[in-house]
Amino acid sequence: MFGKPSRTGRTLQYVALTGYLIFLGFPLVWLLSTAFKPPRELVKLHPTLIPSNPTVQNFVQAFTEQQLGRAALNSLQVSLASAVLTVLVALPASYALARFRTKLGTVALGWVLLSQLFPFVLLIIPIFLILRQVGLANTHAGLVLIYVVWALPFALWMLQGFVRNIPRELEEAASVDGASRLQVLRRVVFPLLAPGIVATALFSFISAWNEFFFALVLVKTPELATLPVALARFVGIEGTARLGPLAAGSLLATLPSLIFFAVMQRRLSSGSLAGAVKG
Amino acid sequence: MTTVADRPDVARADGPRRARSRSDRLGIYLLLLPSLLPIVVLSVFPLVRGIYLGFTDARAGRNVEISFTGLANYRELLGDELFWNSFKIGLLWAVGVTVLQFVLALGLALLLNQQLRFRGLARVLAVVPWAMPPVVVGILWKLVYHPDAGLLNEFFHRVGADGLRTNWLGDFSTALPAVILVGVWAGMPQTTVVLLAGLQGVPRELHEAAAVDGASTWHRFRNVTLPAIAPVVVAITSLDFIWNFNSFGLVYVLTAGGPGGKTMLPMLFAYEEAFRYGNYGYAAALGNVMVVIIVALLAVYLRRRLREAN
Amino acid sequence: MLRSRFRRLAAAAAVAVVGLGALTACGDGGGEDENSSGPVKLRFLSLAWQKESLQANKDLVAKWNAEHPDIQVEYVQGDWNSIHDQLVTSFEGGDVADVVHYEASAIGEFSKQGYLADVSKLLSDDFKGQIDPGVWDTATFDGKVTGVPFLLESQVVIANKKLLDAAGIAVPPADGGWTWDEFQANAQKLTKPGQYGAAWALKSPTNRVLNLALNYDGKFFYGDGGKTEVKVGDAEKEVPKRIHDMLYTSRSASPEALGMSGADTLPGFFGGKYAMLPGSVSLRQQMVEQAPAGFEWVTLPPIKGLSAKQAANPQTLSIAEDSKHKKQAAQFLEWFLNPTNMAALAKGDWLVPTGKQANQELVKLTNGKQGWDVAADSAADLTVAPFQKADGYPEWKTKYATPALQQYFANKITLDQLGTQLVDGGKQVLR
Repeated sequence: MFGKPSRTGRTLQYVALTGYLIFLGFPLVWLLSTAFKPPRELVKLHPTLIPSNPTVQNFVQAFTEQQLGRAALNSLQVSLASAVLTVLVALPASYALARFRTKLGTVALGWVLLSQLFPFVLLIIPIFLILRQVGLANTHAGLVLIYVVWALPFALWMLQGFVRNIPRELEEAASVDGASRLQVLRRVVFPLLAPGIVATALFSFISAWNEFFFALVLVKTPELATLPVALARFVGIEGTARLGPLAAGSLLATLPSLIFFAVMQRRLSSGSLAGAVKG
Repeated sequence: MTTVADRPDVARADGPRRARSRSDRLGIYLLLLPSLLPIVVLSVFPLVRGIYLGFTDARAGRNVEISFTGLANYRELLGDELFWNSFKIGLLWAVGVTVLQFVLALGLALLLNQQLRFRGLARVLAVVPWAMPPVVVGILWKLVYHPDAGLLNEFFHRVGADGLRTNWLGDFSTALPAVILVGVWAGMPQTTVVLLAGLQGVPRELHEAAAVDGASTWHRFRNVTLPAIAPVVVAITSLDFIWNFNSFGLVYVLTAGGPGGKTMLPMLFAYEEAFRYGNYGYAAALGNVMVVIIVALLAVYLRRRLREAN
Repeated sequence: MLRSRFRRLAAAAAVAVVGLGALTACGDGGGEDENSSGPVKLRFLSLAWQKESLQANKDLVAKWNAEHPDIQVEYVQGDWNSIHDQLVTSFEGGDVADVVHYEASAIGEFSKQGYLADVSKLLSDDFKGQIDPGVWDTATFDGKVTGVPFLLESQVVIANKKLLDAAGIAVPPADGGWTWDEFQANAQKLTKPGQYGAAWALKSPTNRVLNLALNYDGKFFYGDGGKTEVKVGDAEKEVPKRIHDMLYTSRSASPEALGMSGADTLPGFFGGKYAMLPGSVSLRQQMVEQAPAGFEWVTLPPIKGLSAKQAANPQTLSIAEDSKHKKQAAQFLEWFLNPTNMAALAKGDWLVPTGKQANQELVKLTNGKQGWDVAADSAADLTVAPFQKADGYPEWKTKYATPALQQYFANKITLDQLGTQLVDGGKQVLR
C-alpha cells in the first residue's frame, strides 16, 4: 500500500509483526504446552514451555468424561447456521440502510445501538421467557435465533459502512451499461463487499461458537449442549480448574475458528476496487 | 411473489415519479424486514421491559408484586458513592481498552495489508484471542499474572530482572492496568479484521497518484488511507466502546472486582445488584442511567467524527 | 424494469430468510414433552467436577435408575462458576431442575424468595437424625429447611513434612490441634530467606475470615429484636489481626498469596516457598494428584482459639418449589445420601460427610490415611454462624467487607478503620 519501503523499513515491519504475533499468539502456545502436561507439571514454581513428560491423557480424559465430540458437532451446526443467516439477513438490510435514507432506517440503526448498550444481564430473563413461550427453549433453533439477533448490530453497522464505501457511480455506470439491478448487485456490489461479508460471517460464527450463557440456560438436554458449556464443566470451585483436560478441550475448540478464518482470510483482500474505479 | 412484483408495474403506468418512490420504499422495507423482525421480537420487548423496571421496585422472588416507584431509584442512585466510583473505573477501562485496541489494531491491520511473507499465517495467528473459548482465556491470563509461577514474572526472572516481578492482579496500582491489557488482547482481533477489511476499500490509484506527487508515507496515510476508512473506523470504535463498557466477564474471573474495589466495573456492579442481591429495579435504573450517559458521550464523539469527515 | 427486479430481489431475500428461519425451527423440533403417563422424570443438576466425584455421582444415578424404573433421574452437570446465574434465570423463567446442588450460604436468598421447597416434612426422621442439628441449621431459613447439607468443608492446615522435621516441629495428633499462638510461633520458625511459614490464600477474604472468626466467638452479625446489625469488637478483630501480624509484623506469611485462591498456592508450596497452607480439607486431593515425587505432606488439625469452632458452609441438595414431583425427589435424596453413598460422594470430593455413620464408614474405608482422620475429627467443630442467616449478607460482603478486608490485609488501612468500614457497610445494607 505504501509502495516499496526501504530495506530497514521492511525489517522494522517484520519486527513489529513478530511483536504483535507473540502478544496475540503466545497464550495459544501456552495452551498447547499445557494440554500435553501431566498434573504434576502444572504446578511447577518455574514452569517450562516444553513438557518434560508429555502425555495425551488430558485429551483422553476430556473426551471420555464429557461428550466433547457431540458438543463440537452441536456447536458447529449452531455456529454455521448463525453465520449464514446473519449474512443473509444483514446484507439486504445494510444495503438499504446505506443507499436510502429513511426514517425507519435511522430508527432501526439507533435501536440496534441502544440494544447493545443496555446491560445485557437485565435482558436475559425476558428473552428466556419469550423463547419459552414460542417453544424454542431447549432447541438449537432458539440458540440460532438469539445468536443472529446478537450478531445483527455488528453486521448492520459494519456492512452498511462497507456499502457506503462503494462509490455510487460504480453502480450507476453498470446500470447505464444495461445491467439490471440484480446484475449490478451481483457483479459489482457483492464482490466489493466480500471483505465486509467475510468479517461479518466470521464475527457471527465465532461469537456463536464461543457463546456460553444462553447455551447454558436455554438448553437443558445434555445431548444438545454446546462446546463452551461442556468445557466449563472442567472448572471447579473458586476458579480452580482441571487445567489439563480443560486445556486439551479448549485447544480443540480453538481450531475450528482458526481453520474457518484461514479459509476465509484470502477473501479479506480480494475485493479490490482497483480495476473498477477507472474513469 | 409474482403479485408483489407485478403490481408496481401497473402503478408505474399511473404516474411514474410518485409510483417509483413508493415502490422504492416498499423495496427498502422488504430489504429491512428480515433483520428488523427478529430484532423487534427479541429485543424490543426485553428492552422496553428492562427500561420500565428501572422505575419500579422489582425484586427477585416467586410471585413478587412490582409497584411503580417513579424516580425513587434515581434519587437513591445519585447518592450511591460506590456506584459512581465504579462508573469512573468503568470509563477509564472502556476508554483505555478502546483507544489501545484501536491504535494497536490499526497498526496490525496496516502490516497485514502489506505484501509480507507468511502473511496468511500471521493473519490466522492474529485472531487467536478471538477464537479461544472465553472460559479458558481468564484462566490462562491468571497463569500469566500468577505471582509465584506466572509467565510474566518467570520471564522477568529468566532475563535477570527480578526487580520487576510484581503481584500483578493483587497490587492496588497494577490491577487495573493488568486487566486493561487483557481486555485489549481479547478485543484486538475483531477490530483488526474489521480495519483490514476496511483497508481493502481504499482505491490503490489514489495511493499511486499521491506517491507520484511525492507525498511521504505519513502524508499518504493521513490524507488518503485514513479518510477512506473513516466510516469503518467510526463504526468499529463506537461498537468497541460500547462492548468494552458492557463487558465484565473477563475481569470478574481475574479479580472479581478487587483488590479493594479497584477493578469493580459498573456493569459488574449492576450484575451483582441484579443476580446476586435480586434488586432488579435498582439494577435496571443503573442500566438506564448508564445508557443515557454513554449515548451522550457517543453522540459527542460521532458528531465530531462526522463533522471531520465532511 | 430495473425497479421491479430490485423489488423482486428484495422480496425473495425476505421470503428466503423467513423460510430458512422457519426451517431451522422445524428441524430441531423438540420442545417440551410433559408426559402424564409413564415413569416420573426428575432432573438432577449436579456440581460435581473432580474426576472421582463425577464418577461417583454418575454411578449412583445409574444404579438408582436401574433399581427404580418408575422414577428416572436425568443427570445434568452444572459448574460452580455459572450455577448462580443459571439458577436465577431458570427460577425466574420457571424452568428449574427438580433437584439442585449448591451450598448453604448461597441458597438462603433463593429460599427466602420462595423458590426452594421445605424438605423437613418430606424426609424421614431416621434420615434427619444422621445429621447434626447445628448443620441442619445452616440450611434452615425462616423456619424452613430448604436444603439437605451433605458435604462439609473444614479449614485445616496442610504442611510440608520435611520442612516441619527440619525445624524440629512435631506433627500434632488428629484430636490435638495447635492454638493460634502455637501456629504463629511455628510459622515463625519455618520462616527464613526465600521461605515463608505460611501462605494465606485470601482472594475471597470475607467468607474465610468470618468462618475462622468463630474461633474467638467473633459473630459479626448480631440480632437485636428482629433487627440485625454488624458489630466489630475484640472478638471479631482477633483473627484478622493475627493474620495481619503474620503478614507485616512477624513476616511469617507471604503477602503475595493474598490475591490467590486455595489452589493457586500450590506451586509455591510444592516448590518449598511456603511451609504451611491453612486451607480447605479438599486441598488434599491436589496433594495426592499433583505433589512432586518424594514430596511429603501432612494434614494438621484446625487451629484453635477459644475453641476450634468454624462456620460450616456445607454443600447442599435442594428440591425446587416448582418441581412437580417433590415426593419422588425426596425419595431419591434419601437414597442418594444414605451413609454408604454419602461416604462415596465425600471421598470423591475429599470433603467431610455430614452424616455421622457416613463419616465413620469413610474413616474405616480409608484407614484414616491421607488426612481422613483429621477431616473426620474436624466435623464436630463445624456449626452455623450468624452471618449465614443474615439478610443482605451477600451485598454486605461484596460491597463493603471484601474491599475493606483487602485494604486491611494490603496494609492500607488500620484495624480500627476496618472495623468502622464493616460496621458502616452493615448500616447501609441492613436497613
